[in-house]
Amino acid sequence: MEVSVIRSCSQATNPKTELGFSDSRFSFGKFNEKLFSRKPNSVSFESPLRRGKSGLRITAQAAQSDRLPKSKSSTKSKTLNRIRLFAGLPLDVVSGGTVNQFRAISAGLKALKLLGLEGVELPIWWGVVEHESMGKYNWSGYLTIAEMVRKAGLKLNVTLCFHASSQPKIPLPEWVLDIGKTKSNIFFKDRAGKPYRGCLSLAVDELAVLNGKTPMEVYQDFCESFKSAFSAFIGSTITGITMGLGPDGELRYPSHRGFAKSGTVPGAGEFQCYDKNMLHLLKQHAEACGKPKWGLGGPHNAPAYSELPTANTFFKDHGGSWESPYGDFFLSWYSSQLIAHGDRLLSLASSVFSDSAVNIFGKVPLMHSWHGTRSHPSELTAGFYNTATRKGYKEVAEMFARNSCKIILPGMDQSDKYQLKESLSSPELLLAEIGTACNKHGVGISGQNSTVGAPDGLKQIKKNMLSENLNDSFIFQRIGAQFFAPEHFPLFIEFVRKLNQPEPHSGNLPTKEGTTTATDSVHTRSNLSIHMQSA
Amino acid sequence: MAAVTIDSLLQNPTLVFRPKAKVMLKPPRSLDCSRNRKLPLSRGSCLCSFNPRRTIHVVRASSSETALIGNFDISSSDDILYKDIFPVKRIEKVEGKFFIRLDRSKDQHDWQLTVGCSLPGKWILHWGVSYLGDSGSEWDQPPKGMRPPGSIPIKDYAIETPLKKLSEGDIFHEVKIDFNPSSEIAAIHFVLKDEETGAWYQHRGMDFKVPLVDYLEDDGNTVGAKRGFGVWSGALQQFSNVLLKSEASHADSQNNSIESKDSKNKNRCLEGFYEEQSIVKEVSVGNLVSVAVRKSPETGKVIVCLETDIPGDVVVHWGVCRDDAKIWEIPAAPYPPETTVFKNKALRTLLQPKATGNRSGALFTLDEEHFGFLFVLKLDENTWLKFKENDFYVPLLGTSSVPGQYGQSDSTSEEISSKSYTDGIINEIRNLVSGLSSEKSQKTKKKEVQESILQEIEQLAAEAYSIFRSSITTVPEEVVSETETTKPAVKISSGTGTGFEILCQGFNWESHKSRRWYMELKEKASEISSLGFTVIWLPPPTESVSPEGYMPKDLYNLNSRYGTIDELKELVKSLHEVGMKVLGDVVLNHRCAHFKNQNGVWNIFGGRLNWDDRAVVADDPHFQGRGNKSSGDNFHAAPNIDHSQEFVRKDLKEWLGWLREEIGYDGWRLDFVRGFWGGYVKDYLEASEPYFAVGEYWDSLSYTYGEMDHNQDSHRQRIVDWINATNGTAGAFDVTTKGILHSALERCEYWRLSDQKGKPPGVVGWWPSRAVTFIENHDTGSTQGHWRFPGGKEMQGYAYILTHPGTPAVFYDHIFSHHRSEIASLISVRNRNGIHCRSLVKIVKAERDVYAAIIDEKVAMKIGPGYYEPPSGSQRWSLALEGRDYKVWETS
Repeated sequence: MEVSVIRSCSQATNPKTELGFSDSRFSFGKFNEKLFSRKPNSVSFESPLRRGKSGLRITAQAAQSDRLPKSKSSTKSKTLNRIRLFAGLPLDVVSGGTVNQFRAISAGLKALKLLGLEGVELPIWWGVVEHESMGKYNWSGYLTIAEMVRKAGLKLNVTLCFHASSQPKIPLPEWVLDIGKTKSNIFFKDRAGKPYRGCLSLAVDELAVLNGKTPMEVYQDFCESFKSAFSAFIGSTITGITMGLGPDGELRYPSHRGFAKSGTVPGAGEFQCYDKNMLHLLKQHAEACGKPKWGLGGPHNAPAYSELPTANTFFKDHGGSWESPYGDFFLSWYSSQLIAHGDRLLSLASSVFSDSAVNIFGKVPLMHSWHGTRSHPSELTAGFYNTATRKGYKEVAEMFARNSCKIILPGMDQSDKYQLKESLSSPELLLAEIGTACNKHGVGISGQNSTVGAPDGLKQIKKNMLSENLNDSFIFQRIGAQFFAPEHFPLFIEFVRKLNQPEPHSGNLPTKEGTTTATDSVHTRSNLSIHMQSA
Repeated sequence: MAAVTIDSLLQNPTLVFRPKAKVMLKPPRSLDCSRNRKLPLSRGSCLCSFNPRRTIHVVRASSSETALIGNFDISSSDDILYKDIFPVKRIEKVEGKFFIRLDRSKDQHDWQLTVGCSLPGKWILHWGVSYLGDSGSEWDQPPKGMRPPGSIPIKDYAIETPLKKLSEGDIFHEVKIDFNPSSEIAAIHFVLKDEETGAWYQHRGMDFKVPLVDYLEDDGNTVGAKRGFGVWSGALQQFSNVLLKSEASHADSQNNSIESKDSKNKNRCLEGFYEEQSIVKEVSVGNLVSVAVRKSPETGKVIVCLETDIPGDVVVHWGVCRDDAKIWEIPAAPYPPETTVFKNKALRTLLQPKATGNRSGALFTLDEEHFGFLFVLKLDENTWLKFKENDFYVPLLGTSSVPGQYGQSDSTSEEISSKSYTDGIINEIRNLVSGLSSEKSQKTKKKEVQESILQEIEQLAAEAYSIFRSSITTVPEEVVSETETTKPAVKISSGTGTGFEILCQGFNWESHKSRRWYMELKEKASEISSLGFTVIWLPPPTESVSPEGYMPKDLYNLNSRYGTIDELKELVKSLHEVGMKVLGDVVLNHRCAHFKNQNGVWNIFGGRLNWDDRAVVADDPHFQGRGNKSSGDNFHAAPNIDHSQEFVRKDLKEWLGWLREEIGYDGWRLDFVRGFWGGYVKDYLEASEPYFAVGEYWDSLSYTYGEMDHNQDSHRQRIVDWINATNGTAGAFDVTTKGILHSALERCEYWRLSDQKGKPPGVVGWWPSRAVTFIENHDTGSTQGHWRFPGGKEMQGYAYILTHPGTPAVFYDHIFSHHRSEIASLISVRNRNGIHCRSLVKIVKAERDVYAAIIDEKVAMKIGPGYYEPPSGSQRWSLALEGRDYKVWETS
């Protein structure tokens, strides 16, 4: 740890070791200059070069506990440059074994590099790589991309997608779907018994349903094959790996099926505990709790997908079943299953990549509809037992912290004022809530925008980047015609450039605050390197 | 990475680093190179960039030919039916070394900078100095005492000194510059030029720089390497801030203070160094391919003997043909050894090395009925040698033709360079970025650099956008949305008029001769209008070096061979009176200079826009521009304007505005828009808000072995990409459609007129509202005839374009010819039925000898000798007009 602190200092002061031509970003110099040249003789933070020479060492703990007034580091003095900016590659950038729109991707990469982005995010699909049969992997297209990214001098955050995509259509592997034809209980089912074919049910994680292997084993083989295929890139070009955790890669139940039409109030969603294996687990749990009758099915009085939460009595603001002992029994079990599933996958990823210098990420959804009600129906059906009376993201953050993983939070472009009033939605409050839980447990947060987009989205993103909701990186979704369109791209350029300009007045901060800035940033950096070493 | 020899430092103040870097030099291209040579610990790599240019290097027929002929490997020369020698030009990489050395001169007082290069060439060091306290990025001329003999001053900021071999046996061409370190000189800046090829070893002002400042002369042995590097890392710190516009001044003062503090605290000395790197220059090498045909007296077969002095593996890609059409066929076996069949279209034979000399060759035995022998040479995966962009052709039936039938003096084949587009871009960017790193300078520069980076980013984004966009909807969106716009929309979208426009090209190549064209045309205004034309394109109005007007000089002087400015105004007024819109032909790509610079190169402009050489692109060595590199292709006859310069764009926008105001032009025909990025056109059009604008984006269609490909998607994609770059503010001439009509009509291959999706195969099939269809113009036809429409088939062409979507353009010569009444009838059918640029085409027949289509379900047409009659269904069709091999019906 000591080493890492000093290393990060010397990195920051000694640009010549770090900065080749490839670092000609809009941001970098700013960082150094702000940090060190402005206050080279500040008492509390000596010129690190000199410090390094005299052998003075400050451990990471010291930096953390003594120097950083955690919650007091005022947002005003925070600079944005340390948030590493990524852009997501098109979901279907690879199909079969080949790269689509090769020329566009390569031009795009160059543009992003020039713009000063840290790197790109690459979705790697289970259904593409292990398409034909179990254990037969085709990484070729993705390897091409990794090479292109490396050549462009960018970093790569890889997302391992164990789910399907509806638009563009990328299904699960054919052989998995074949198995699902006869054994539909490998999928989540809703109350009507309709299976969700976008990912496997978490209840089969450890059941040998895939040709004698459990999904966990299959995921592990996939990760290991990935690791060996990309060994040349991991730790250098590939700096982050995001583990797919469920529908759309997010840690959640598929409580909403299909896309909600814009302009309509989304329903509460449905609980997804009706596949044979989930029901079995529920039954076991109920019996263990001495309430066998509670284990026969999900809540009978929950509304259907598109119905308003008030359509039935489960989510009622006052006196709803959610507040009853049964409600607590069910919701605790339902959410703990989800967290256990996340835990399994993230610890799998952490152990597979334990010897690689990469960050592991997992994505948590922002179920912000109905956040204004007491019961938070959308969160409950998605598997987060977070209500007006119970802080539910604590367990989630703990689980991430336990696995030394960072969290990805989408929806950073959503602001309250553009939400439909009727949906009692509050993306900002929810984000702050999750952010606080993560900060408490030292879980790094990476942000994403929602794929649907939002009015004034870039503004909101910037706002979030300035707040504590975000402290690791931001992944902008996603490159494509829309992204480079004349209506959008100039705005994006402007956004990136603005990120690197200080907030008003920060240049005139008194010495004390300036010091805080420096320490704050160093803290973040050392934190990062510690993570990399312990990972 | 650089290897640093530190121990030598103690004995002798010389630093050696040998970065593994290569510099590529390409003769016809601007070479930009800038390397972190100052940064021994950085990822010192050398990057360079080049823009592919189309320069043809002529290899003069030399005496070596005769030598080759003499050695020709033919047993008896009596029965030779044919022999010929084709000179070919190819690019060969020659590797050499380039070094920079800073050391004490012999007397130990002064210092000496030596620059050397081991490659053959006429090397010139183009250099200058900067003085202590200089704030700008400009160079100054070095003091007289510093200039080596033979130096020539260039303006007031640089001198050029040739590199010389000290003695005959030397490997290196060298130049030595002596200087006194106690002088006020802060740094020596230079770039290297190869006069022979025009290659520059420079990057737009980001030159090699040898800083001399902050060093003290003594104290030599006590200074360690690290402090010596301090200066360099200072440069890097600067660089890291380069992109921060708003903070620039702040950052600067910070860095400066650090640096100056450093320099006070530590005594540094001028350290010598020696740095060497390999340099690769691409030189064009002339080789010869000799072919002889003889008849074997024994077998009666024809033997083709092919031989060349091109080194390395050479593959002959060959076939035979039956007639003059030169259609490739594979002859019957036997084939020479090492022959493979390529895609059933051709054979490939690896030439076998000859026992004597460095030559290789092969013998091909063919049956005598073949008409000709066709081949191209393949040097490697991407390098082909062709004969003037065509296949080499050897007649087999023709007897005893004389060598040199192709006119050897200028018969030079061109190499098709394989450098892909993207490579060019990536190099450019790297170059840009690395260029930044080596620059240790000034705010003004920073801003420029930022701008150019932004522009680069925008260009890349535009490229990515156009590809993503076109791959989402392979047929661009407009076609999809067309059903909605079938109602006659009066809404005018900028640059495309009402959608019902019919264009008349109001001049030909000879129009300037009368010197009163404007007046002659004025007489015809009402006549042209009455034929149904709504827009007329007038010839380029500016003063021009060539009488036709395409070599403009003073843009504000509108007295030309076509008439005076007042006559022009009068003409425009008359045209407006008869209800026509008027397009001005504006040449924005290039401009002829008024004055020469010190080197005698014409690149200084006069008149109201008295630009200097900063307005000229840097990558055409002929014009020694100091601007940025061109954003498009180069036009070699005149200085190409650098549209990336803010002042140039501002001036041009003003000029276009003036033309609109003063002359009354309603829109533009934009000449040679391949020469610069479409994004600039967008800029100009947004500023001048034309009613209609059309760009001339003319490049070659794709051919395989001399035969036009059916699929011309890549060709029309390039045009669509350009339109896209302009953001749709301009249309473009549909060169694709013209090319396909050529093949379809000339060869009776009417099937070509439908693409794989059953749509028109030209730009008009993809983006009809931006396609300006035409069959002839002043370049392709008239007295130039660069690409003349098949004779006698013009009316079929017009029957096609005047009934189809797109905006049709009719050439002046055709209007005032015997075609006139037929053209007028076609126009009236078009107008009567409200066919417009977005009309829907349903192709009903595209067969060998007939093409038929129904447009907007109102007009049916067929061209070709084959039979077609529109269906006799609910619609009742009546024949509207009929001509040679075409018919047009309308619903009644």
